[in-house]
Formats: sequence, C-alpha cells, structure tokens
Amino acid sequence: MSLCIAGMGWVTPLGSGLDSVWQRMMRGDEAIASKIAGPFETSKSYSAFRVPADALTDLPAHPRLRRASAISRFAVAAGLAALKEARLTIDRDIIDRTALVFAVANGGVSYTKRFYHDIVQAGASAASPLLFPETVFNAPASHLAAVLGLTGASYTLVADGAAGILAIRMAEDLMADERFDYCLVVGAEEADWVLCDAYSKWRLLRSEPPIEPFHKRPRGTVLSEGAGAILLARKGVIGIKKVHPGGNFFRRTAATQWTAKVLSGLDCETATVIISSANGTFIDEAERTALSQMRCKACVYSPKAALGESVGASGIWQIIVGAQALLTRQLPPLLHSSMETGINQTAAGTRADENIVLDCGMNQQIAGLRLTAKAENSSCVEG
Amino acid sequence: MAIVGAGIVSPLGTGLTETLHCLRNARDCVTPVTRFPVDQCRCKTAGQIPDEWLEGSAKGRRVQRLHRVSHMMICALREALESSPQFKPELTVIGTTSGGMSYGENYYRSLDRHGTARRSPTWLSNYPPQKPVLDAQEAFNISAPCQVIANACASGTNAIGHAFNCIRSGKYQRVLTGGYDAISELVFVGFDSLQAATPEKCRPFDRERSGMVLGEGAAILLLENWEGAVSRGAKIFGEIIGYGISTDNHHLTQPDPSGIGPRRAMEGALRSAGISATQVDYINAHGTATAFNDAAEAKAICELFGRVPVSSTKGMMGHSLGAAGAVEAVFCLLALQNQFLPSNINFRRPDEDVDLDIVANEARPASPRTVLSNSFGFGGTNASIVMQKTDA
Repeated sequence: MSLCIAGMGWVTPLGSGLDSVWQRMMRGDEAIASKIAGPFETSKSYSAFRVPADALTDLPAHPRLRRASAISRFAVAAGLAALKEARLTIDRDIIDRTALVFAVANGGVSYTKRFYHDIVQAGASAASPLLFPETVFNAPASHLAAVLGLTGASYTLVADGAAGILAIRMAEDLMADERFDYCLVVGAEEADWVLCDAYSKWRLLRSEPPIEPFHKRPRGTVLSEGAGAILLARKGVIGIKKVHPGGNFFRRTAATQWTAKVLSGLDCETATVIISSANGTFIDEAERTALSQMRCKACVYSPKAALGESVGASGIWQIIVGAQALLTRQLPPLLHSSMETGINQTAAGTRADENIVLDCGMNQQIAGLRLTAKAENSSCVEG
Repeated sequence: MAIVGAGIVSPLGTGLTETLHCLRNARDCVTPVTRFPVDQCRCKTAGQIPDEWLEGSAKGRRVQRLHRVSHMMICALREALESSPQFKPELTVIGTTSGGMSYGENYYRSLDRHGTARRSPTWLSNYPPQKPVLDAQEAFNISAPCQVIANACASGTNAIGHAFNCIRSGKYQRVLTGGYDAISELVFVGFDSLQAATPEKCRPFDRERSGMVLGEGAAILLLENWEGAVSRGAKIFGEIIGYGISTDNHHLTQPDPSGIGPRRAMEGALRSAGISATQVDYINAHGTATAFNDAAEAKAICELFGRVPVSSTKGMMGHSLGAAGAVEAVFCLLALQNQFLPSNINFRRPDEDVDLDIVANEARPASPRTVLSNSFGFGGTNASIVMQKTDA
C-alpha cells in the first residue's frame, strides 16, 4: 500500500512556514547557533540551533498549552500548519477517521531535567506535580490531540533519528485499516543542555557549528529543535511509494550494511535525489560507503547543515525537503561539504520525480522511504 | 490471531509457572522500596524484581553493562521463544514509558556530585527506550524493525493491539509484541508528587482506595496469523480477537469522570472482536486504585457490561506502567488456559457508587472463554484487548 502527502508543516531554527523556510534553505541560509548553559557551576556550555520565538506566533491560546513544554508547542504548531496546508478541518465527520502518530527520540527533556534536578538538589519533597505530567513521552501527542479534538487512535513512537520514517511506516500500518482516511504524523524535539552533554559524551557532538556532512573525518553534529508534520491521506500530489521497514544495526560498523540494504530495497539506482541523514557523525561514512556500494548516482542532499540535528524531528524535516524538491524541482545547496567527499552534490535545479529519504539514526535504527510526484490530487492507493 | 509464545518476568516471579502459582494463590508481592531513598515520599512500597532473578539472563562482557530492564526483556523473550523456536518476527512492537531511566538518573547525579561521569557512555547508551528491545533482539539474533510505543500506562496494551491489527490487515504474518518497564526514582517520585501513590495497600475498586503502588516487569507475546500457526503445527496458547483505542482529551493526567474514554476503547475492542458485551466472561481492569481512574473505569464497565467478574491484578504486583498491559495480557492468557479468574487483593468494601462483581481477595474457579483487558494512561490514552481461549 502507498499513501499520499496531503499537507506539511514545520517549525525549525530557520523559522516556520513551509515556503519561507524552504526559500531560506534555497538561498543557502543556515540556522544560527546559540549557547546553552548547564545547570551546574562547572557545566560546560554547548551550541545548539534553537527555534526563534517568532516561529510560534500563530499558536492558538489553548488552555492545554499554558504550561506545556517547548516540544509540545512545536508539535502543535507544526501539526496545525500541516492541516492548514491541506485545508482540512477536523470536524465530526472525520474525527474518527483520523489517526495521530507522534515521533520522538528524547522527548520533554527540559521539564524532565528540571523535575529531577529539584529531586537531586532538595529531595523528593521538592518534586513538582506540575512538571511531572509533562515529562511523559506522549504529553505532546496528548496536547496536540486535545487542540485538534482528536479522540481516536493516537500513538507516540520512540526511536532514534529514524523515528520520523518509522512513524510513517506505523501510519501506513494503521491506514491499512480502511476506517482511517487520514493520519497526522508529527515529529518533534526540544534542545536542552542535558541532551547536548549526553551526545557530547557519546563523542557525536562538535562544540561549534558548522555541521560538515560527509567530511572525511567526522567532526560531530550540532543539535537543534523544532517539529515537522505530515498529513497522510489517500489522495495528494506527493506519493509515498514505498516505506522500507528498516532494521537495527547492533554495531556502528554494521550501519553501512544496513544502509545498503535499505537503499537496495528502495531501488536506489533509479532515484535521482537522495535526502540523506548525514550530520557530521559516523552516519555520513555509513551512507557514503553504502551509496558507493550500491552504485547510486543520485544527487545527495542533507538538510542538517542548515537545520541542525533534531533527532526526533529530523526525519520528518527530511521528508518535507524531499517533497518540496519534487514540488519545486529544486534542491538547496549542500552546505559545508567539500567536493572531495565522493558524493554527487549537484545543487539547485533537479528533474527529480522520485526521491529517496534515508534515515540512519545514531542509536542503531535505520529506515528509508521513496517519494514520488503524482498528478494533481491523484489517488495513492494501489491494489 | 494465534498467540504462539509467551514469556514473563514480574514481581510474581520469572516465567509462566511461577506467575501462575502466585496468581492462583493471590500473593501480595509488593515490598518496601530499596533501590533509592523514599524517606521523603508518602508511598514507600512497590512491586520489585530482585536482581538475582535476572542473573545469567545473557552472557558476555557487553551484557554486563546492560540496564536491568534489558535483562528483563531477555528473560521474557527467552521464555516466549522456547515455546516457539521457529518464530521469526517480521515486526516487533513493544510498549514502554521510561526505558533505562535509572541510568539517566545515575548520569545526572554523577554530574551533580562530580561534575562529570566516568561511566556516562555506558549509562547513556543504555538509556534510550528502544535499547532494551534491541538488546533482547540481539540476544536471540532477531533483527526485525522495531516500533516502540510510549503511550504512558496504556503502552503495553497499545503495542499488543497494534501488533494484532498489523497481522489482521494481512500485512504481517508474525509480530513479536509486549511491554516492559523498570522502577526508577524519577517516576516513583513523580507519581508520589501527584499524590497518586498510596502509603497504604493498593486496593483497586475499594471504597477506601487511596492510590497506586508502582511495579515493574516485562512480558512478551508472539503473535501469528491463525492459518500460519496451524499449518506449521505451532502450539497455540490462546487468541487475541479484538482491540480498541480511544483518546480522552479531558485532562493530561485525569480521566473524564463520565468514563467515556474507557467506554469507547472497550466498545471498539468488542466491535473489532465481533462480539457483544454479554460474551465477555471476565475483565482484567486497569484498576490503579486511584479515586478518579477506578471511578471512571467502573462506571464504563457497569454501563457496558452490567455485572461481569472484574479484578485488577495491580494489588499483587503494583502498576508496571508500560509493561502493565503486556503483563496483564499474560495473566489473562493463564486464566484462560487454567480456567480461573485472578483476584483483586486487599479488597475490603465495595464502592457504594458502583455495582461491580469484584473477584475479591482469592482467585475464583471459573470457565472463562472470552476476557477483556484494559489499560489507560496519562495523556488520555485508553486501550482494550479481547482474548479468547483456544480449543486447538
């Protein structure tokens, strides 16, 4: 079964608004990093790409959002934008025919850190009952469902950087049931010092931008935050032709083999563009080697130098980039990547009508999908 | 949908045999918390799995670094695969709420005390919620794609239900499913801060219920489409025949008092199973023993089913959050196979507002053929599955 993209929305460090962020990316803009200070006196500070405050100006004044964490706000803003783009209102007729899948890797880290920090500093009696409910992984999905009035199926899917595509796969599984006409897939993440410190301890982070995709010696990534949302339907102008279910690599050295398997399953030799997850870490080498092994000649683009590595949101951002490339027949320039990478990085104009989006996560999971341009609002249902 | 394998580790014991023994004897397996300080908490007890039960779950140097919840998953998966060694899943769907949370706590406390943490790479790499699932898969050379569902306390039932739908749609033949969670300070203190945890015994549906106690565990079910299981001669433990899910937007942590969320989930499960409410012989309730949850659930059960035998097994082992739905599905399976109803321990007086047939304090001999299991969670997630005894 394949599905269509009926609407898209995103909240990114380059702002929100599908077209405005896209235009900035096409101009070669990249997000500006800011420093995040730690909770302890001796804490090192880290660079991260944050969402600018004006990116959330359209957020409704809903009671659920009064105390909600940043990740919930990002998720709601992106979800509403996707519905708006699809001109879809969740009314009584479709409320039971719409599912929600929320993808996340790290979740409401800021509130979790604040909640536990109080316990560490002053004991259990200092724990805040206001913060705790916001620490659960499905709090953003709950807020989004409440804002939209959704009362049916809602799933929060936790994974690594592959979360976005795994969520699309889960949505595809859900929509195998004909009771559903729509599935809103949202991926979100918020940046916090504790996450930066953790990724630094994993030797995956670099202290300052830029992210240099496919550099011969991986120099590390820079975390970012935001959300991406895709409304899946049975009709639309962008089709999701195939979602590879992916797999898990138990050692980093096996990432190449799994990437090649996913590329092979998506017929990469016939794709003209690959939206890669290269982020300045070991992922880049895994993807480059797999692309070479598969003799894949496609033009490769990673949005992470421009938008940062937002883990749970990144996969959805990549799909949106892939869809925009099909719709506009253009691709932004791959930033901070030298020509010696062995990667085909022809930028700007592209005649692509089928793209592959590849998500190799940093914690053992990998998945991919293939997008295709459809005739205006045609059906995506096969078989 | 055939259940061709099951495995469990919980405070009731490791494995189906020990679990059955405790269920039949209505054993209270809630003990004082020893893993972290609880002197400032109202609640001081939980259902806990002794570490020695998990020793030897897997071998190798790397294995020693794994979080104890990975060992729980390995134990549960081993038992499930022993009954169906040929089972090769195409998909894994597992529910959890907090992954290896205590490793995250170790890391943060170490930063507070020392400014750095020498063991942080080990703690951090074993912290993500998908890691115990991947560890268990790796231990048995399984590399199925994983969908890890974190729908709060409904996660386990949502995982089983989604796995059921995946096979029913014809897209998959075999899905490995279940749930896991381990007790952690952050979560324990969190529920305590909400005054949802009790300093007394956990008394689901009792008039004087005062809250929940936490638990932990892991449970695995191997699901296979019926024809495939029969054609390869697999031992069939029971069937999943229906699944319902709903979202209640009333409040992030409190159910709609009308019981509309649980009711819609149960109605959906019955519809999916193609049966009527009168055909259900027993309900394993979510029954956390909090005032609001039990009231809403009891109202929905009374309205939909009238007087059907009901118990919450959380009094025996606490609420294992993301594992609860899977653990309770295994309890239901044991009840169907061994023809009894698990008990709702610590029950003294019925709530005057509801008229439930509580299976109070002792397991009840019965002949259940069809049972329903509920799980509800923060965020308003509600899930119900229907299971059936098999004659095969």
